Order: sequence, then C-alpha cells, then structure tokens
Amino acid sequence: MNMKKMRRSLFSRTTLRAIVSITVFLLLWEAGSRSKEWAGFTMPWIGLIPAPTSVLSVWWDLLGDSGYWQSWYLSLMRVLSGFVAAMVIGIPLGLLMAVSRTFNSITFPSFEILRPIPPLAWVPVAIIFWPTEELSIAFVTFLGAFFTVVINVLGGARSIDMRFYQSAQAMGSSQWDIFKRVVLPATVPSIVVGSSVGMGITWNVVVAAEMISGGGGGGGSGGGLGFFIWNSYVGGSYEQIVIGMISIGIAGYACSELLRGIGGFFTPWLRTR
Amino acid sequence: MSAVLEKVRTQGNEARHGAIRIDDVVKIYDPEGAAVMAVDHCTLDIKAGEICMIVGPSGCGKTSLLNAIAGFHDITSGAIYMDGEMLCGPGKPKADPGADRIVVFQNGALFPWKTNLENVAFGPMMQGKMSKKEILEKARSMMADAGLSGTEHNYPGEVSSGLRRRVEIVRALMNDPKVLLFDEPYRALDSLTRSVMHESLLEIYYKNKVTIFFITHDLEEAIFLGHKLVIMTTRPCRPKKVLEVDIPHPRDYSVLTSPRFRELLEETSSVVHEEARKSFASGEKEG
Amino acid sequence: MEQVERLLKRTLPFQVVSPETLDGIAEISRNEVFKAGEVIYEAGQPAEEVYVLVSGRVKHRIDPEIKARVHEKELQVGDVFGWAAILEGEKVRLADVACIEAAEVLKIDGARLLDLLRKDVNFGEAALKSFSQLISQQYYLPPSVSERVPTTLSKVGDTRTPASNQAEPQTASAWTLTMYRAGEWLRSPDPYLMMVGFALMLGFWYLTVEVLKLPRFEDLPGLTTVVKEWFAEDPVYGMSIYTAEYYQHIWVSIRRVAIAFLLATALGVPLGLFLGWSRSFREYVFPVFELLRPIPILAWVPLAIIMFTGSETPVIFLTFLASFFATALNTMLGVESIDESYTRAAACLGANRWQVFKEVIVPGSMPYVFTGLQISVGVAWFSLVAGEMVSGQYGLGYVINTSYTMVRYPTIIIGMVTLGIVGYTTSAMVRIAGNYMMQWRLREMALGGR
Repeated sequence: MNMKKMRRSLFSRTTLRAIVSITVFLLLWEAGSRSKEWAGFTMPWIGLIPAPTSVLSVWWDLLGDSGYWQSWYLSLMRVLSGFVAAMVIGIPLGLLMAVSRTFNSITFPSFEILRPIPPLAWVPVAIIFWPTEELSIAFVTFLGAFFTVVINVLGGARSIDMRFYQSAQAMGSSQWDIFKRVVLPATVPSIVVGSSVGMGITWNVVVAAEMISGGGGGGGSGGGLGFFIWNSYVGGSYEQIVIGMISIGIAGYACSELLRGIGGFFTPWLRTR
Repeated sequence: MSAVLEKVRTQGNEARHGAIRIDDVVKIYDPEGAAVMAVDHCTLDIKAGEICMIVGPSGCGKTSLLNAIAGFHDITSGAIYMDGEMLCGPGKPKADPGADRIVVFQNGALFPWKTNLENVAFGPMMQGKMSKKEILEKARSMMADAGLSGTEHNYPGEVSSGLRRRVEIVRALMNDPKVLLFDEPYRALDSLTRSVMHESLLEIYYKNKVTIFFITHDLEEAIFLGHKLVIMTTRPCRPKKVLEVDIPHPRDYSVLTSPRFRELLEETSSVVHEEARKSFASGEKEG
Repeated sequence: MEQVERLLKRTLPFQVVSPETLDGIAEISRNEVFKAGEVIYEAGQPAEEVYVLVSGRVKHRIDPEIKARVHEKELQVGDVFGWAAILEGEKVRLADVACIEAAEVLKIDGARLLDLLRKDVNFGEAALKSFSQLISQQYYLPPSVSERVPTTLSKVGDTRTPASNQAEPQTASAWTLTMYRAGEWLRSPDPYLMMVGFALMLGFWYLTVEVLKLPRFEDLPGLTTVVKEWFAEDPVYGMSIYTAEYYQHIWVSIRRVAIAFLLATALGVPLGLFLGWSRSFREYVFPVFELLRPIPILAWVPLAIIMFTGSETPVIFLTFLASFFATALNTMLGVESIDESYTRAAACLGANRWQVFKEVIVPGSMPYVFTGLQISVGVAWFSLVAGEMVSGQYGLGYVINTSYTMVRYPTIIIGMVTLGIVGYTTSAMVRIAGNYMMQWRLREMALGGR
C-alpha cells in the first residue's frame, strides 16, 4: 500500500462515517449514564452503568498498576495454552477423520454427541478430576476450542475438489504424498477459519471459568481478566468492570487478527482474491 | 452532435425498435488509483432487429460495453443512444437498467429459489402491468413454444444448464424487450449442447425480432448467429474490424459447412488470433 | 453382480429404485463384449434390450429420417442407450450404434425391466420418469418419438398423454426417500462402527472410574451410578426422569433460550439484511457493532446484573446478546454472498429497489441465515449455561453448579447429558425448519448442483 492509498483510505468516507457513528455512540452512552446528574431521572439500564469519561479516567490510573497487567498475562496464557492444545490434538484428529472412513464412522457419532454439551458445563467435572484449578480451567478451555477446530478441519477436508485428488493420482503421487500436498494445504484455510472462531470461544470460556472459579469463592490461583471483572463487581468498582470488558475485547480481537495473519502467511495463494 | 441525433431519430422512426448507437464511448476504471482503460473511443452502430456479435479476447473490455448499455456501470465519456434517446452520456454517466434492455448472464442468473415458471413470470409480475392470470398464461405458452413444457415446476438447480439458458431467454422475452444483451451465455456449455442452443436461439429470434447484442470469444458461433460481426482489439477495446455476414437468414446447422462460412472464417480468424495473442502475451486476467 | 449393481447405481434412472429392484435388474442383465469397430445394432432391427455402457466408447447415430436435433452422439461409461426397447408402440431400433473402442455393455430385457419397475411400488414411477427425462433431454428427439416414451407405468389402454405436456414430474415423497436412506444406512457398516465408538467411550469411562478405580478418576461419578440415578424412581439426589423437578429445570432453560433466540432472530435478521443491503447503513452501524462483538458474552455478566432487575432478565439478556451477534453477522454475510448477477437481472426485469430486496436479497441470503441460526442456537445454549451457573435460579446450568457445590456428583452428569440432548434437538429443529423452507436448495444439492 503506497502512501497515497493509505491517506485516501484514512480520510475516506467510510472511515469518516465510522468515526461519526462511534462518536455518537459514545455521546449517547455518556448522556445516558449521566442522566441522573443531568436530567434528574435515571434512564433505565443505561443510567446505571458508569460513563465513558469516568471509565477512561480510572483506566488511566490503572495503566500503572502491575496487577492489571498481570491479569492480562494470566488470561492470555490460559487462552494460548488451551488453544494450542486444541489445535495440536484437534487438527490431526480432524484430518484422520477426514481421511479414514472407518475411523470417522467410529469416532464421529461419539464426537457429535459430546459436542452440544456447553464447555462450561464441564467445569465441575473438570474441577473434580484435575488436581489444580489451573489445569481444570485449561481443560475446559481446551474443550471449547477443540470441537470447533475439528469440525472446521473436517469441513475443509471434505470440500476439497475431487479434481485435485484426481490430478495428483494421475501424476503418480503416493497416498502419503497426496495427503501432504493436496489434503493438507487445501485444509489450511478451513483450519484458519476454525482457529479464528475457536479463539473467540476460547476467550469466552476463559473469562467464564475465571469468573466462576474466582466468584465461586474458590480464590485459589485466581487472577486473569475474568476474575478482575468479577472482583470489581463484588468490590463495587463499576468502572473497572467496563475496563475489564473492553480489555478482554481488545485482547480477543488482537489474538484473532494475529491468527488470521499467521494463517495468511501459510496460504499466500488466497491473498490474491 | 445535432446531425447525429437527427440521423438517429429518423432511424428510430422505423417499425422495429432497439437500434443502438455507441458514440465515442470511453470507459476508465479506477481501482486503487491506477486508471485502467477498458473501452477506448468505441463507436458502433447497431441496426434495429440486428444480431450483432462482439468478438474479442477475454478481458478486453467488451463486457464493460454491455454493462454500460444495460445500465450497470457508468461511462467516462461519450454517449449511448437507443432509438434516438440517450441512455447515458454527458450529464448522465449511468443508464437506468430497464426491461427494454435485458441481459442474459454468463453463468446464468435464474433465481435458484424460484421455480422455472416463477422465474419466467418475474418481469411482468414486478412491473404489474398485467393480471396474474394473464401473466401465467403467457408464461406457460411461451415456455411451451420454447419446448420447455413439463419443467415449469422444477427449480433451476434441478435441470440441465442448456435448459436453464432457454428458460432465461424466455424470461427475458416475456417483457417484449427491444434489445437482448448476451454476455458469453454459452461459454460454460459443452459443444454439443451449444450447437443446439444456437439453433434454438435463432428459432426464438425468428419469432421475436429483437435486437441482439451478443458477446462471445467463439468466432464460429459469431459467424453462425450474427448479421454483423465486430472484432474488438485487446484491452482497451475498440472495433478493429466490422463485418456484415451475408449468409441469408433463416440459417440452420448446414451453414457451418457452407463455403461462404469457411470464407468468412478465414477472413476473420487471423485478425482475432492476432488480438488473442496480444492479450495472452500481456497476461490479462479474464473479465 | 456387485459390480453390475454399482454401475447401475451410477446411471441416472436406476439411482432411485429400491435395492430389491436393483437386484432384480442386475439379475436380468447380461454382459456382452464388442471389439473396436463392431456394430452393436442397426436402425430397423427389432429392439428388445436396453443397453448400459460398462466400458469403452461407442458412437450413437440416430436415423436421419427421424430428424432428431442431434444426430450423432458419443456415449460415455454409464450412459443408457437402446431405450427403443421400452417405447410404446412398435419396438424397433432408431439408431445405429457402433464401437469406437472395444466396449463392454450390459443388456437389460426391456419388457422385464418395465415389469420390475412396475413391481417397485415406491420408486418405479420415479425411475421411469427419470428415464423419460433422460431420453428427452439427452437425445433431443422430435415429438414423433418423444411421444412414445412411456411416462407412467399404468397399463396400456389408459389415455396416453404426450411426454411434453406431462404435469409436474413426480419425485418420490420425502418420507419414502427418508425411509430409503435410513435403510441404506442400516445396510452399511456405519451403524456398527458407531456402536463400537460408543462402546469404546462408555467402556473407557466405566473402566477407569468403577473397575480400575484409577486415581483422580475414582472421584468422578461412574457410568452405572449415573445411569441408575437417572432412571431411578426414587433418586438418591432427588433428580431423575421420574421427578418433576427434572422437567422443571429443563423447561426453564428451554424457555429462556427460546425467548432469547426468537428475540435475537427478530432483531438480528433485519439488522443483518440492512447491513448487507445498504452501504451507507453499514458504514454507520457496522463499526459500533464490531466494537461490541469481540467482548466475550460472559464479560457482560456483572453489567447485566447491574442493568437489569430480577434474576431472569440478565440471563436472558446474555443469551440474547450472543445469539444476536451471531445471527446479524451471518445474515450480513449472506447478503454479501449473493452474486450481483441476481440483483442486476432483477433490475433489468423491471424490479424496483424494494422488490429486489424482497424477491432477491431475502431468499438469496436464506442459506447463510439458517447456518447463522444454527450457530446462534449453539451459542445461546453456551451463554445460557454460563449465565445460569453464575447467577440465576433453576435451569440446567444452575443444576450442574449446585450439584457440584452440594456434592451430588451423578446429578452433574445427568445435567450435562440432558443439556447435550436438548441442545442437539433444538439445533436439529432449526436445521429441519431451514431445509423445509429452502426446498430449492435441497433438490439442487441432491442433484449435485449441476
């Protein structure tokens, strides 16, 4: 992207409109949350939440607090470990299911039966089973991403155009070769999509698990942004709730974008679209 | 300008409609700030009721011309007239799409969620000029004329692509258009189906003398079907050679082996081939 | 025999017959091999058998007298020819067929074929219909011949309507097709492998917890304990399929999901449609949407509790929010996925902007919308459970949580399994509703989307 193009897109109509609407949104939020001070009555719902300006000022102070950044770190670690585990186990499993009909017939029905059970429903079982709370959170996180990754790998492998197989076979490739050069690369885009979605789910699960185990009076290792939010609620610091929410949003978004970037690196042929 | 308008207006007084005049049209696309000229001062006259075949290498800009006539894109300069009235030009860069100029698309644009009958009836239904009963009657009879009886309640996804094309053409004809615009409609069909489609198109043409603006890259198809053959240069396109195909209508497949056909093919294929090679060398992506 | 059946199955008219009929057809078929250049039959000869090409290439030339649109055709493996053997009236060959390469064919006695189709009560008519369509469409026949293609199996003597004026083609009813497919599935190894999978999974659970009593595993509730509890008339921990409480919790959860889901659909679909349809609208609204979407639903819990009074509303709000984002986003993608040729065609045909929206955009985005709805249901359950576990009374999430705190471990599993079943059912209901509303897509996909 050259400078001229960047400048154009920065000041394009689209960006302008986005800025306008976000500003309007913030203004409405500000007005709504200060309705008690300004208008004397409390707006339902919005009137009860802290205003953007107070959120910002508390956030400013928080930036110097190491505990805040530690929460970031803890949540990120949990997300990444659970997610990586899900990919390490899920991708090979998905590929195996796609390639071997027999294996698929054995495993897929059981997989489909377990899948509708929400990951958070596994929390108590995980706590009973795993010795530490950290491990139970990691397990639940893993589950959250695992099912999505496998489904996406399966979908990607199944949608491979038959002609790719046929031309590989016609050119004399062995089964392993075909797998390596046809199936794998064609599945990568689906893996990337699956990862992005899985990432979102993972964050959800981590936050929930942190809130539940922290909020359940467990205490223990605690920490993490989810715990931060819950703690702020219990402690009555509403601005921090919002700060926590936005922080997680940013973190989650950054992770997804990072994934998409990595995925793009592995799939250069898609960039020309 | 007024002399041109005068001439075009008198042309428009003839009984048949749909005469198109493309007057010095230029089309420049502006993606990412790099100006790409697709149409380079193209001037072309198409008589009412004439089958005009536009032949050129892929990506040369002929679809831009079609889009301009149909009203999907604007033009950068020049003007296009139909029966003397300006479709687009100075002050009005984009024509309004309308039922007087209907397009038959390359990959087919029959609505997959409507049955064939519903598709055929779509135009009049939207325009609301006839009663529902009349529309359905007309639709059924036009489908029968085209040999499509029995497929009214099928969905497009259930029938062959050749049949789909015919339904699309009938859908267009239901609206008594002045001009039918074809954008390489038979490109995706196998050659056997294509030859049947050609005869079927001519049959339809003989019954409804619309003006036809037909884009193709297939020279034989062009000579077989057309009154007028326009060979376009590679991008940016302009007419390189305009030819009147003097084989008399009505034509049938025996024309393909006639001496005159062979002569015309010889005359034109070197020209087309030259442009195709230029296009290939420049590595243009197809439109 | 198997190979014959497999080949027949690839041939269009025989794809829909029942397995018994297919067996029967395979039995009355005979193989024959021809050398390159050999004539298989000539026009004018009596026609007794229908042919299917097994291998090689043949050339099929219709008698020029017949004035078919296409005279010569090269046939591929799996193609059917020699169908003069099932025409009404005089059964005489209409074409010359010769081998381009050495070829192997299947010959099927025409009269006995019709008999077999007649005996196939469910699919015979459909197969015959398929046959006649194939003949008309692939051979471009003049009416003098196409009239004679049989279109029903009723005895000769009934009023014969020319093939071209037939009423809508009958496809086997959805019910019989489903039954047929179910039967097919049962005949394959799949159901048994599935059982193997289940046995492995349950066996693993049973072994590790109750038999081997491995460390960590032994604290978990065991398979037999859970099953006994679930089906006990007087359960130890108070919850089984016989207790009213069980159903109350299920009902509460379902009700919450239903309200949230319906609300999310009612708001999300229109929003998504407009986001996709109007560029200005999207440029204004989408940024705010995308700002809020990355925030994990559960991070909203405290805020939801603050904003809404009572214990029901926050939970429903959370569930709604999750569904809403998923629905709106997928709907928007659905609109964007519509090929611009469709909107252009509609404009050409005289539709105004509103008509284009109603007739093209809305139906065209339906496939994506329904995928989105399925995702939305899944996400709804996810959020609901979380919401119930954190704050709320009654409901399956609540059950799971309290069962843990009150050390009623088997009930946890009961809750989980119930959640799975209910979640799956609701998702399936959405999918079925989608299939029902989009008949066109089902049929298109069934025919491989030619």
